[in-house]
Order: sequence, then C-alpha cells, then structure tokens
Amino acid sequence: MSDRARNRIGFVLFAVGYLCAVTWVFTRSAPLDSGRPVTLRFAHWQIEAGPPDGIAAVIKRYEELNPRVRVEQQLVPGAVYKQWLRSNLAGGTGADLIEWGPWLEGVRDVPARHFVPVTEELKRPNPYNRGTPLEHARWEQTFIDGLSGQRIDSPDPGQVYGVTLTEVSLRFFCNRELLRDITGTEAVPQTFAELRRIFELLPDYSRRVGRPVMGLAGARDNTHWLLDFLLAGTTMGLNFSMDDYGYLALYNRQLLAGYLHGRWNFRQPEVGAGFELLREVARHMKPGFMQVTRDEATREFLGGDALFIFAGTWDATSLRRLAPFTVVALRFPQPTLDDPVVGRYLIGRSNDGGGITAMAMHLSRHSRHPAEALDFLHFLTSVEGMQLFTNASGWLPSVREVKIPAEIESFKGRQDGFASANPYTLIGSNVSMLFARNIHLLLGERGSVARFTEELDRIMPEAVRSDLQTELRSSLTTLKGQEMRMVAHANLAADERSRREWLMLEAGQTLSEGFALEMARNLATTQH
Amino acid sequence: MAVVPRVFPPLIIPLLLLVTLARADETPDAVWRLLAANLPGEAGVALKSTPPTEPRARALAEAVVLTARQPLTDERLLEAERRFEALAEVPDEVGAAALYLTGRLHQLHFSTPDYTEAARYYRRLAERQPASPWAQLGLVKLALLTLHVLPGPATPADRIAAAEVLLPRVTVPPLRRDLLIVLGRARLFHEVGMEQARFDLLAADAIGGLTGLAEADVLLQIGELSFRAGDDGRAEEYFRRFLKGNDADPRVYTVEQRLKVIAARKGGR
Repeated sequence: MSDRARNRIGFVLFAVGYLCAVTWVFTRSAPLDSGRPVTLRFAHWQIEAGPPDGIAAVIKRYEELNPRVRVEQQLVPGAVYKQWLRSNLAGGTGADLIEWGPWLEGVRDVPARHFVPVTEELKRPNPYNRGTPLEHARWEQTFIDGLSGQRIDSPDPGQVYGVTLTEVSLRFFCNRELLRDITGTEAVPQTFAELRRIFELLPDYSRRVGRPVMGLAGARDNTHWLLDFLLAGTTMGLNFSMDDYGYLALYNRQLLAGYLHGRWNFRQPEVGAGFELLREVARHMKPGFMQVTRDEATREFLGGDALFIFAGTWDATSLRRLAPFTVVALRFPQPTLDDPVVGRYLIGRSNDGGGITAMAMHLSRHSRHPAEALDFLHFLTSVEGMQLFTNASGWLPSVREVKIPAEIESFKGRQDGFASANPYTLIGSNVSMLFARNIHLLLGERGSVARFTEELDRIMPEAVRSDLQTELRSSLTTLKGQEMRMVAHANLAADERSRREWLMLEAGQTLSEGFALEMARNLATTQH
Repeated sequence: MAVVPRVFPPLIIPLLLLVTLARADETPDAVWRLLAANLPGEAGVALKSTPPTEPRARALAEAVVLTARQPLTDERLLEAERRFEALAEVPDEVGAAALYLTGRLHQLHFSTPDYTEAARYYRRLAERQPASPWAQLGLVKLALLTLHVLPGPATPADRIAAAEVLLPRVTVPPLRRDLLIVLGRARLFHEVGMEQARFDLLAADAIGGLTGLAEADVLLQIGELSFRAGDDGRAEEYFRRFLKGNDADPRVYTVEQRLKVIAARKGGR
C-alpha cells in the first residue's frame, strides 16, 4: 500500500473518531458543570445490591427539593476503604459525608480527628419530619435504637458522631422450592433439632438427583458469622457470671481482663460446646469451604447446590434479586435447653441481631458545605427519605414510622433473646486474627475441639494482653484530645450550650478515665 | 476629591462597621470556639491575628494549643508546662485552669506519666482555690488516681478509704455525682464494700443529670445490684426506669426476665 493510501485511511479513521467523540459529548455525557453551586459527596462501602439504589432514590428527591445542591454518591469497595479513608482525610479531600464503623481496625482514631459530633443537632427535631408523627420528636428519638450503638462505640463518651441508615440482623435464608423437594413440605425448621432432621435427609436426596446438595452454603465469612452466633449462645451464662459491675453485659475490656485473670479460657466446656456445634454444622458444607469467601457461598446457594445460607440481611437484596427461586429469610433455629450437645450450657434464646442500627454516616470536619451536608443527612433520615431508601434498597430503615415492605418484615429484630457481650472471637483484633489463622485445627480434616482450644490457650495470652493494651491506648488518646475542648468550653461558659458541653465532656472523661485506670491496673496485676 | 466626602458616610461607615465586626470575631472567643471544635491548627492561626486583648486568656489559649498541635513532643509539652506554671502564679480562674492542666500534663500527656506529680498539682489547687471548678475537678482526678495507681495505700480497702476522704470536699453536684460513680465502681472492681457501691450509685442517681449510655448503665447497675441483694422493690423500680428510656437496648430482654423473677418471688411470698 502506498504512503498516500495509508495517509487517507489514517485521516478517515481520525475523522470518524473525532465525529464519534463529538457525537458522544453532545448527546451522551453529563455537563461538566451541573449548574448547582453546592456539590456534596457521600461515600460508603455498601456496594451490595440495594443500598446504592436506595441512596440514589433519596438523592433524586433531595435534588428536586434543593435546586442549589447536587449530591454525588461515591461507592468505595470494602477492600480498599481504609486506605481510601486515611489518604483522603489526611489530604483534606474526603467526602462531606462518610461511612465509618468502630470495627475497622487501624482507623479508630478517625472520628475524633476528622468528624464533627452531631450531638447537639440530635437534640432538635428533624425539620424534614414536619407533618409526620415524628414532627416534634428530637432527631435522636426518631431512630429505632435512639442511636444507642453510636453512643456505645463513640470514641468520645457522651458525644455522637454517626447517624445510621439501616437496621441489620443475621438470618438463615432458605431455598423454598428445594426445601419442598427434599422434605415434601414447605415447613421451615423452628429448632436446631428440626434442622438436624432436615440435614439427615440430604444424602438420600443428593443420590436421587445425582448431584451433591449441601445443607448449608459454605465460605470462610459465613462460617465465622455462624461461629460468632453459636459461641455467643453457649457462653451467655459464663458471661453473666463474670458481670461484677451489674451492667448485665460485658465490654471487651472486661472480657480481655477476665481472660488475663484466668476467669475464663478456651478449654472451658461452655466455649468448647460452641465449637462442637460449629463442627457439626460445618459437616453440611461443601469440602474446602474455608478457602473461599462469601461470594462463593452466595453462588453455591443461588445455583441450588445448598439448601440454606447463613448471612447478614446486608446480603438479602442480592440473594432475592439474583435467585431463580423463592428465598425465605428465617431466624436461625437455635438449640434448645434439651439439646444433647449444648443444652446444658444454654440459659435461653440468644439475641439474633436487630434493634441496633448501622451504616453510620459521619459529617467530615473538612466539608466545605457542612450546613448542606447536615441538611441532606436530615432528609435522608426523615420518614420520607427513609421510605425511599427502604423501598429502593430492600434494606430495613433505621427510623421509626417507615412502612416496612412485607418481604423484609422478617429481617426486623425481636427483643426475645439474651445478649451479654461480643463473641470471644471479636473482642480484639489480635484475638480475631489468631482465631482465623487457627480455625483449621477445629474444622480441618484432622481437627478437633481439643486440638483447637489447646492451641488457642497456648497462643492467646499474648494476643489478649496486646488487645487490652490497644484498648487502653485508644482510650488515653481520646482522653488527651478532650482536655483542649474542655478548657475551651469552660472559657465559653457564658453560652449555655458550652456549659452543657463542658459538663458532658467532664462526665464522659471522668468515667472513661476510670475504665482506663482499671485497664492499666489489670495489665499491671497480671504481668508475669 | 469632592466626591469622597459625599460617598463617605453612606459607603465607608458600613464598611468600617463590617471590618470592626470581623475583627470582633477574632477575639479569644473565636479562638476558644475553634479549640472547642477540635481545630488547634486553625486556632493557632487565629491567635496570631487576634488583637492583644485579655492577655491571660490569650496566653492560656496559646499554651493549650501547644498541648494539641502536631508534632506533639515532650519538649513542646515542657514548654506548655512552663507557660501553665507562669499563669498559675496568679490565683484567678485562668491560674486555676493552668494549675489543673499542669497536673493533667503529668497524668496523661507526657510520654511517661508521673501520677505522684499530677496528684501534687491537684492537691495544691484544691488547697489554694477550693471553690474553683478546676480545683473541684482536680479532686475527682485525684480520687481516681488514689483508687487505682498512686503509691501509698497498702490494700484496696486503704485506697478506697483514702479516696472517700475527698468526697466531702467535692461540692459541685455533677462532679460529686461522677466521683460517687467511680467510687462505687472501684468498690466493685476491688471487691471491697460491695453493698456500699449500691448506695454510692443511688446517691449519684439522686443528683441526676446523666444522659445516654452512662445513665442507662447506672440505672441497670442499681437495679441488678439491688436484685442480687434481694432488694426487689428497688430493683423493680430501677429496671422499669431503664426500660422506659431504653426500649431498643440489647439488654431489654434480660431485664424483662429479671422482672419476671421478681414477680414470681412476689407471688411466692
């Protein structure tokens, strides 16, 4: 081909490319300038099916009501969320409203340093609730749990930083058609004994259909959730026996100190019983389940290869939208007091979640439009905003007076079970890590409860001590930060709000300081 | 030139007023507001442009900023301590705050805490200006140190006895309330005078003013400790008060079970 021909072809390609680009710009792309002077950014990691749709629905309505404001939803995958959070906040470029949770290791200092407390705003009614039954209620009272989770986890006692969007619980999802095929009925199991009987039918069913059908979709994540739940049940009585303060609950620092003082260990029968039950359930998962993540378990369930899946309600919308069968959300059929494996250690039903709200959004200290961001948060958590979110996401609302669609009614928490503490797997980051690293000693081919618990008690003392030291350090860091604010509020004490803030900070600081000194003493008196 | 005088009154005077108002916002109050919002960097910048009014309050704010701005080193904290000590020479409220904060530096901020030194500052302040809120707060902190870490008391009972002595000197109600709570909790922690712990908490509740989780915890503690002591009437009263304000707390079910036991005990009598 001659140079001239090549040039012609090149020119034609260039012209076609140019015309395509021009056509795209004028017909398909959004304008660079929305014409709205205020742009808010709203960042979260809930990229499952549901929440992005719910938030988009709220944004659409909010923008109709507020022509000056544009809201951008930023979806940040969980795998990189902590890095994203740290780098953006350090650079002052983070979003205006940011999701954060206290279980995110390595970023626990973030609220005190980068978020603005909304405690005072929560004492006033939400203006977007006008004309609803919540019109005169203080904003904090409009939440199902009064934001109690946010109070418990606040790094600054007395202050509330996060405003929540949903209520979550753990549920046992069932493939209804498969259940009918296996058992001949759609009756779902109500107790663990009934679940055992259904599991016993599976080998025969698998032979009949010529493919393996498991009782439970298996993956590392789902197994840990199940372990946490089962362990919380068998150790409930043990926890109450260690409740010296009469809180009817144990905080992590108390469980860690209790371990160092030898008040409980992993070889105790109550703990072993929880592990034994997990081993029994794990036999109904496919081999190799600890090597895969929750996505694989979801695929297994959606493919009709497992009858049940134990998951959080955060996975429910994905399951329902993608399943070619009817998905029923059940409460996990708990073992009863006459259970041959764990009955003697139980004191009754365990709380299976619910009641506490989550997906907490925080107002960034670096926001260029804090008033507008707070206004959007008001709308999002109003009855109207939450109704839009719930309808479009399939997630429960965090706010009262919102109509809950029938298909997610069963996600609602019921106050009909004991709750005493975090499961022993979740009382500190080092403890959690060692659990995850050694669980093959329980669930592996040659695993056993004895092997697992002996190893845990060999390696845990150091991890527990380290986690208690971390709790102490976090507490001291927060306490130091309060000094400056207390002096400032004292100097502004002519202002009633500042006087209240001073008293609130003082009370929170004094009570936290008591906890910190107790932790220090526990560490000192158990030092060998 | 003749135009200027004609424009002056309507245009320049409002402008001057605006400038004056803007300056007014740069008084120490504006600095305190930045510190209250946890913005020490911005407060430091604002201090530089603040007119030199209220020199002692300004000096206190400068020293406070030193304790909070990064990078936070012991050298910087020593400089803050020097400034606090200079301010503490005058026995006014700024001096009281400065003396209290010197104690806090030794208790909490320096890389190696010196509890004995912190206690010395709190005692000195309480003797010099006993009615100052800072002195009162210092006594609460002194009690906390005595209960857990100060050298001296030989046994837990001695620790509690030494802290109890401070209680009559704390007269500001919310501070007295908080001291009663930590005292009651320390009795439970050290397992000394468990029954008295309940009465400390009852006295704290009588003062009132707690909110949120702190209030819920105290109500439950009184209810549960009364339940264990067989004081069912009081247990029921406090459990019901807890239920009234905390219907979504995960402990609701446990409390309801306690109330059933109390009802059964009543029926059995």
